[in-house]
Amino acid sequence: MSAPELVTVSVDGREVQVAPGTGLVETALAAGVEIPVFCYEPRLGPAVGACRMCLCEIEGMPKLQAACTLTATDGMVVHTAQTSEKAAEGQEATLEFILVNHPLDCPVCDKGGECPLQDLTFRWGPGNTRMTFPKRTYEKPIPVSPTIALDRERCILCYRCTRFSESVSEDGQLIARNRGAQSIIATFEDEPYRAPFSGNVIELCPVGALTSTQYRFEGRPWEIQNVPTVCGLCPVGCNIQATTREGKVKRILSRNHPEIDEGWLCDKGRFAFTHLYARDRIADPLLRVRRRGFEELSWDDALDAAEKLLREAEGRIVTALSGSETVEQAYALGRLLREGLGAHSALLPEETSPALDAFRLPLSAIRDAELVVVLGDEPPAERAPVVDLWLKAAERRGAGIERAGDALESCRRLADKRNVLGKRLRESDRAVLIWSGEEGAGGAHVAALARELGFGGKAGCGAFHLPSTPNGRGVADAWAAASDEEGPNPEPIGLLIVSGDEAASDPGVRALAEHAERVLVTSMFQGLAVGWADLVLPGTGYLERDGTYVNLEGRLQRLRRAVIPPAPDELAWVSKLAERFGVEVPPYASAVFAELSEKIHGGLAFGEVGEQAALGTRSEAPVAELPEKPEEGGDGLALVRYRALFSGPAVERVPELQFQRPEPEVELSAEDAEARGIASGETVTVSHDGTSLELRARISRELRKGVVRIAAEHAGELGGRVEVST
Amino acid sequence: MGIDEITLAHADERDLTKLAEYEEIGGYKALAKARKLKPEKIVEELLASNLRGRGGAGFPMGRKASFLAKGTGKPTYLCVNADESEPGTFKDREIMLRNPHRLIEGCLITAHGIESEHVFIYLRGEYRDVFEVMRRALEDARKAKLLGDVTIVLHRGAGAYICGEESALLESLEGRRGQPRPRPPFPAVSGLYGSPTLINNVQTVATVPVVIEKGGEWYAKIGPEPSPGTVVFSLSGNVVRPGNYELELGTPLRELIFDLGGGIPDGRELKAIIPGGSSTTVMTPDQLDTNLDFNSVAEAGSQLGAAAVIVIDDRACMVQLALRSSQFYMHESCGKCTPCREGTRWMVQLLAKLEEGRADQHELDLLLSVCDRMLGKCLCALGDFAAGPVVEYATRFREEFQRHIDEGGCPFGGESSLEGIYAPVEQHAHAASAEVTA
Repeated sequence: MSAPELVTVSVDGREVQVAPGTGLVETALAAGVEIPVFCYEPRLGPAVGACRMCLCEIEGMPKLQAACTLTATDGMVVHTAQTSEKAAEGQEATLEFILVNHPLDCPVCDKGGECPLQDLTFRWGPGNTRMTFPKRTYEKPIPVSPTIALDRERCILCYRCTRFSESVSEDGQLIARNRGAQSIIATFEDEPYRAPFSGNVIELCPVGALTSTQYRFEGRPWEIQNVPTVCGLCPVGCNIQATTREGKVKRILSRNHPEIDEGWLCDKGRFAFTHLYARDRIADPLLRVRRRGFEELSWDDALDAAEKLLREAEGRIVTALSGSETVEQAYALGRLLREGLGAHSALLPEETSPALDAFRLPLSAIRDAELVVVLGDEPPAERAPVVDLWLKAAERRGAGIERAGDALESCRRLADKRNVLGKRLRESDRAVLIWSGEEGAGGAHVAALARELGFGGKAGCGAFHLPSTPNGRGVADAWAAASDEEGPNPEPIGLLIVSGDEAASDPGVRALAEHAERVLVTSMFQGLAVGWADLVLPGTGYLERDGTYVNLEGRLQRLRRAVIPPAPDELAWVSKLAERFGVEVPPYASAVFAELSEKIHGGLAFGEVGEQAALGTRSEAPVAELPEKPEEGGDGLALVRYRALFSGPAVERVPELQFQRPEPEVELSAEDAEARGIASGETVTVSHDGTSLELRARISRELRKGVVRIAAEHAGELGGRVEVST
Repeated sequence: MGIDEITLAHADERDLTKLAEYEEIGGYKALAKARKLKPEKIVEELLASNLRGRGGAGFPMGRKASFLAKGTGKPTYLCVNADESEPGTFKDREIMLRNPHRLIEGCLITAHGIESEHVFIYLRGEYRDVFEVMRRALEDARKAKLLGDVTIVLHRGAGAYICGEESALLESLEGRRGQPRPRPPFPAVSGLYGSPTLINNVQTVATVPVVIEKGGEWYAKIGPEPSPGTVVFSLSGNVVRPGNYELELGTPLRELIFDLGGGIPDGRELKAIIPGGSSTTVMTPDQLDTNLDFNSVAEAGSQLGAAAVIVIDDRACMVQLALRSSQFYMHESCGKCTPCREGTRWMVQLLAKLEEGRADQHELDLLLSVCDRMLGKCLCALGDFAAGPVVEYATRFREEFQRHIDEGGCPFGGESSLEGIYAPVEQHAHAASAEVTA
C-alpha cells in the first residue's frame, strides 16, 4: 500500500502536513495548537458541531467555522483563537452562553477540579458574568439509574451521552427531551437507564451533570490517586484506573487501550468494585470448630492448621482453581502443591487451547473486519461485554455480522468447502471468528476452523474464543509450568483446595467437596466459604493484587495493586507455607514472574509488561481438531444456560447493580413462540424430564429457531432439551 | 408581459383541487411533455429559467439540481419543503390548498429530471386542512396513473419551525429529533438516508410545470433578469386587504401595499415593513419604492425571504415587536447549538425587562452584544434569524428603544398594538400527537 499523499495546512502560521481527511482539531494538535472542544468526541461518530467551542477562522470562509466538523484540505489556512481576534471572541461568546445558565456550584460538584468546563473557562472564558437574571433551575439530582445521577442545571447539552447511547452502545435509552433552552437529557418515560454500558456516559460528560452515585461526594481531585491497572472481572481485561482515597477504591475509570476497549467499560467493571467492602468480606482466617461454627485464627495458627491439612492428606489433594488468580499466584500455588507435595491433580476452570496463538488479533480487528461470524448461542455481551461494542462498531462500518448458532454443528458446516458462508470466509482478507458459548474446547475448535479456512496466512483474519474466566489461560499455563511431573487423580480425595470465589461458587466444585475428607477454601466472602470448609483463608481481589493476567486475545497485562487488602495476599502465605515443605517461592509478584518468565515468556522482565501492553506476535501453535459430529438433538428446544454478565459473587454484593441482574425470563425465537401460541411477557412453563419452572417469556429476534435461552441463575436444574408451554 | 399568476392561475374561477378541472386548464400536459424529454433536458430548462428558490434563500433550483451526486449507487430523493411556519408566511398553504395538482405535477417532473422515484412532501403538522386536500389530490393522481414509478409520501411534521431548515427536515423525516446537521456534506451529496437529495420549497416546485411547458427561456424573461418569475406575496399586518397576491418579481413595495393592499387602515401612518417574514430585516417607509425581487431588496439592506410582507403602522411598539419575535425564536430554537439555545432565552429576558421599563442603559447595549455574539456563530440560520432582525429594530428605532429606558415604561402603554402582526407565542403550541391521523 502506498502512503496517501499528505496535505499541507497552516494553523496559526505553523505549517503541518497531515493525511487528507484528518479532522481539523487533530490537524491543529499536530501543529502544536489546541482547539478547545466540548461536544467533539470522535469515538461517538460524526461530529455534530453543537457546542461551538471550537470556532475558528478559516481563510476564504466568511463566517467562523466549527473546526470539529471540518477536515484538512490542501492549502487550508486556519486561525484559531490564539491568533484570530474574531475566533477568540467567538470562543468567549460560546463560553459566556454556556455559563449563563450553568450553576456556580463547583465547590460541591464531583467534577470540580477535573472538569473540562472549569479548565476551558479558566483559559478562554470571560472573566466575569453579564447574566443578571435568575438561572434556569430543575429538580436535582435525578436518578437516571441507581448508578447514575443527573443534574440538569449543570448540563451544557453537548449530547455526548445521548450520542453514546444511540451510536456506540446502541441501547437508545438516553434521549433529549423538549427543545431550545428547555432541552433536557432524560430516559424514555423516566425508566431507569438499564443497559450494560450505561456508566460510560459519566466519563463522557464534560461537566458534572452525569455523576456516579457511588463516587458522589467521595473525594476531591487533590485527595485521590489513580492507579493504572486492568479489570479482572471478565476475560477482556479492559484497561482501567482505580481511583483511591485513603486506602480505599472509590471509583473505576477507563484507561483507553485502543486495541482492547477503546476507552469503554461495562457497568460490571465500572461499578462492581465495591464488593471489596462487602459486609461478609473475610479479613481473618477461619477454622471450623467441632461442626458448630467457625472461630477466627491468628495467621501463625492458620498456617499451622493449613500445614496440618496438607500433611494429613498424604498427597491425595485436588486443587480447584478459579481462573481469576494472577499468573503468579497460580504458579506459586502450583509449586507449593506439585513440587512440595506431589499434588498434581487440579480442576482448571475450563480447558484452554494454545492453538489460538496462530490466529491472534487485537480485539479492535473486529471493528475493522468485513465479515464476522459469531459461533454459539450465548450473547457475547454476557461473556466478554466489550466484544459486543466492537461487533456493533463493525456493523456500523458495514461489516457483515453472521450469527451461527449451534456452534459445534456450524463449525463443521463452515469447514466444508461447499458452504457459502465458509467460502466467503475463505475469500476474505478481513474476517473474524468468535466462539461465544460452551463446548469450545478452550478455543481449539475455532482455531481448527480458522486453520481450515486459511486464516493462518492472512494478517487481517483471526479467531477469538470467549472464555468464562478472566485469566483461565494464564492460570492454566502457570499451573502447567510449575512442574514437569504428572500424577493420578486421587481417590478418595483427602483434601480439596478451593482457590478463589469463582471456584467456591461453582456447583461442580461443591459436588466434589462432598467426596473430600477435608476442604480448604480461600475466598473473599464468608457467604461462599462458611458451611463447607474446614479452613478458610482470606482471599484478595484483582484491585488488591500485583501481578499479571492473560486476556482472551492472549495478551499479557499487568495488574497493579491499587489498595492494600485487609489480609496478607495469597502470594505471602503460599510463600510461607511452601517454606515448610522445602519449596522456595518468593512472596513478591515481580520475583515469581521473573522465575516463570524464564520458562514461558522468554525472559520478559516484569517491568516491561507495560502500562499499555502490546499483543504478542502470532506464533507456531499446535494443530487442533474440528469437533466431532454432535449427537442428534431429539425432541424439544435446546436450552442455552448462560452466565449473565451481571451475576457472580462480586455483583451479588453491590446493591447499586441489583437492577441490572437478569430478569427471570426465557428467551424464545419468534417462530417457536408462534408455534406454541406464546406472547412476549406471558408466564410460561419450561420443563425437562419431570422438573419444571415458571418464567416470563420474551421473544428475541436474535435467537434462532429451536433454541431457548435462560440466565443460569434462573434456570434451576434445567438442562439439555426443554419444552415450553403456556 | 402581463403574467400575473402561475402557481395560482385559474384558482379563482375553478376548483382546481379536482383533477378534471386541473386537466381542463392544461394540467399534467407539462408532465407528459417532460416524460418524453431526457432528464438532463429538464435540468437544462431549469437552469435556463433561472428559477430561484422561493423558500427564502433564493438559490437557483437548476443549479441545486445539477449539484446532485451521480453514480453513488444510492437512490436520489426529492424533498418538498412544505413546513411553512415563519410568522408572516402563508403562500405555500394557499398553493397547496387551491392548486394541489400543480405541486404534484411539479414533483413528478422534477423527479423525472433528477431521476428519482421517491418524493417526500414534508408538510407543516398544523396544516390539517392542507393535508386532507393534498391527500385527496394524491389519491386522484394515483388512480389516474399519473405517478408512474414515483412514490410520493406526504409526511406531516410535529410542530417545529426548525424542521423547515432543510437538514433538520431530513433528520425529522428519518424519524429523528428535528435538529440541523453540520454542513458539509450538503444534501445534494448526502441528504436523506445519506443519499443525494434535492430539497425545494412548495412554490419553487409548483413553478416547474410552467417552466417545462413554456420553456426556461420564456420564464427567464418574466420580471427582472436576476430574479425572474412570479412570487406569491403574503401580505399581512396593518393593511386594508391582506392576503396572497401572485405578482411578477420586481413589483414595487408601494404598489403591493397601497394599490393592491389598499393601504393602511383607520387613517394610520405606515411605520415599518418586514418584507419577507419575521427573519428578515425591517424596512422603513422611505424604502417604499424598493422593487420586490431578490436583488433589489438585498440592495435595500433586507431580504425578500419567503415574500411574506408584514405591514406595521404607527400603533406598534417596536420593542414589543422585537420581544414577540424573540419569544417565537426562543420557543422554536431546537436546543442543539449553544449560542442559539442560550442566546434566544437571554434576548427574551432582556427585551421583556426593556418593555417593562425596568432596564438600565447598559442592558440595551448588552442586548445588542448578545445578538452580536449569536450572529454568524450558530449551527444553522435560526440563530441569525433571531438576532439579526432585533439588531435592526433596535438600530432603526433606537429612539423608541431609548424611551423605554428613559420613561421607565412602554410609551405605547399596555395596549395590544401587534394585532394582526405576529401571533403571540402561545399560539404556536404543539399539535397534540393524539390528533395526528394515520
